[in-house]
Amino acid sequence: MQLVINAFIAGSLAALIAGGLAFVYGILGVFNLALGQIALIGGYTTWWLYQVHSVPLPVSIICGMAFGALVSWLIFEVFINPFYKRHRFLPLVTTIALSMILDAVILMVFRERPRSILPGVKEQISGFGITISPVQIVMICTTLVFLFLLAYFLHSTSFGRKIRAVTQNDIAASSLGIRSGLMHRIIFIISGVLAAAGGIYIGIDTSLTPVLAFSLTIKAYAAIIAGGKGNIWGAILCAYLISLLEQFAIGVHWFGTFYISAGYQQTVALLVIILFLLWKPNGLFVSSSRKA
Amino acid sequence: MKKLFSIGVVCAAVMAACSPASQEPVKIGYIGPLTGDFSGLGSDTLNTLEMVVEERNAAGGVNGREIVIVPADGRCNGSDAASAAQKIVNVDQVDVIFGGMCSGETLAAAPIIEVGEIVALSPISSSPDVTDAGEYIFRNYPNDALKSTAMAGYFASEEYTKVAIITENTDFGSAFRDAIKAELPEDVVVFDEVVEPGTKDFRTLVTRLKDLDFDVVFPNLQTPANIAAFMQQLREQGLEQPAVSHDVADTAELITIGLEAVDGMRAINVPSVGVGTELEAKFIEKFGDPVMGIPFVSHSYDAVNLLIDALIAADLDEELTVRDYLNDLEVYNGVVGDFSFDENGDVVGISYALKEVKDGEWVTIADISIDQ
Repeated sequence: MQLVINAFIAGSLAALIAGGLAFVYGILGVFNLALGQIALIGGYTTWWLYQVHSVPLPVSIICGMAFGALVSWLIFEVFINPFYKRHRFLPLVTTIALSMILDAVILMVFRERPRSILPGVKEQISGFGITISPVQIVMICTTLVFLFLLAYFLHSTSFGRKIRAVTQNDIAASSLGIRSGLMHRIIFIISGVLAAAGGIYIGIDTSLTPVLAFSLTIKAYAAIIAGGKGNIWGAILCAYLISLLEQFAIGVHWFGTFYISAGYQQTVALLVIILFLLWKPNGLFVSSSRKA
Repeated sequence: MKKLFSIGVVCAAVMAACSPASQEPVKIGYIGPLTGDFSGLGSDTLNTLEMVVEERNAAGGVNGREIVIVPADGRCNGSDAASAAQKIVNVDQVDVIFGGMCSGETLAAAPIIEVGEIVALSPISSSPDVTDAGEYIFRNYPNDALKSTAMAGYFASEEYTKVAIITENTDFGSAFRDAIKAELPEDVVVFDEVVEPGTKDFRTLVTRLKDLDFDVVFPNLQTPANIAAFMQQLREQGLEQPAVSHDVADTAELITIGLEAVDGMRAINVPSVGVGTELEAKFIEKFGDPVMGIPFVSHSYDAVNLLIDALIAADLDEELTVRDYLNDLEVYNGVVGDFSFDENGDVVGISYALKEVKDGEWVTIADISIDQ
């Protein structure tokens, strides 16, 4: 049971970032390799406001996400918009360059010290064989609410409908009077907000270091590939699933005789995903998503 | 004709004496992690190097020649350190090298440094493998093999018979794990897991520790942030066993991040050399608080000063090389204490201390002497 909770703690983070990535990749077909850096920017901004300037935590978090949105909007205008319609791989190159620039900037501004938004031991409550802190419960729930709101936004508002229209057919949507350029911007900014939320999550749960970014991006890619291209819910579910696999791989006493060494944690989880993909090459959840 | 020849010889001698070649700057190469996870180590050591070089240049450099620094980024890993060494040895042709910092850097750079016949002095590399890295590789930081002996001795004296070890899979971490396991009696290690570098999620391992009977846990991880994360997750699950670690834990950062989670945590490390000294004040005035702590700065300070002493001596005496100077060194009175080098270039004369986090600070609670 504790394993499931552990998976939720780790998976919520992965889901936020994978959700953001799937949004951009699935809809614009753009690889954004700088998403991990946007996450760090969101986390560091929150840390800076809360720890250095004693701004109340909720305000700091909102500002961190807002700043993540602002940065991702700037990134879209400068590094994505001029390129992505020419060739879908161009942004791959520009965002790799960008990720290196941002890595250096983060290192310069925030130095190499690890930063924690909420340092120390979080108060714990126990019951039903699990131990969890209220902070973690809030974080898990906030993530779920956040993702739920996104679903509501996408599926039950006219705005969401427009975004889905752009997803399904860009040109057709434009011909019906939807400003697809604007939609693309909004999509990109939402992904930035999700990523920034992910960064804040790391800062609260453990600590931020300037070099986390790339591994975050890679894990999110694993989730969206497993989830199926363009399937946001698939990506989010797979992010949780990978975390669950990781925790079970090393937490279960297999057949009562041995534990898998913790060093193989990620390997085992990704191997399972590869096996799934052999069985369903388009992604685990692709058939359950609605087409056109 | 003969006269002309002798005039020629005199002229040549005069020109050689005055030629600008002898006024060329002396180059000290630097290999260390300037970017990446361990860049805190890099900035502390490079800052110290800059500080010493500035002081020594003001005092006349190497017999009037200016000292310049040629830094290269080793990123705390073998492949980057090898290309860094390649560059400063073959392209920049430095006179001596201050570095590598991480053991992985020193080990990967060693073969290139050996071929170039340039002395490298590391202030931090502690892996036992560095002992045999080569004729030109020196260090003024003690070998981990001694630290694991000290740690095993400490476990025995506290009568800890069930030890849990969690290792981060780096050169440093796995070397320490092998060394401590070799020191401890066979059935003492009851939990022994290796995690990928950079892991911060130890919750499932902690869940497993919960079902296990152990006396002490040894987080053998590579960064203070990771140890702090482990300690938080351990204490959050209500596990109260004592935790003992090594030099990585012995930093102010661990306490900033871990707060009460690391209260009472112990570490076996070189003594807190340099704390409260003039060097500390000088460093803080110039660069602010060191990221990894003043002991690393102290070891770096001594190493660079010693290298410059050696360069000066070798510059004055044609017969003497920097390597011979270090090998023949009787004793160096540094900030870290009085030390010299053995035949493998390992430091002799540095002892260990047992430290504990008390009221948000690392304090030394006992000295541990090592019999080599």
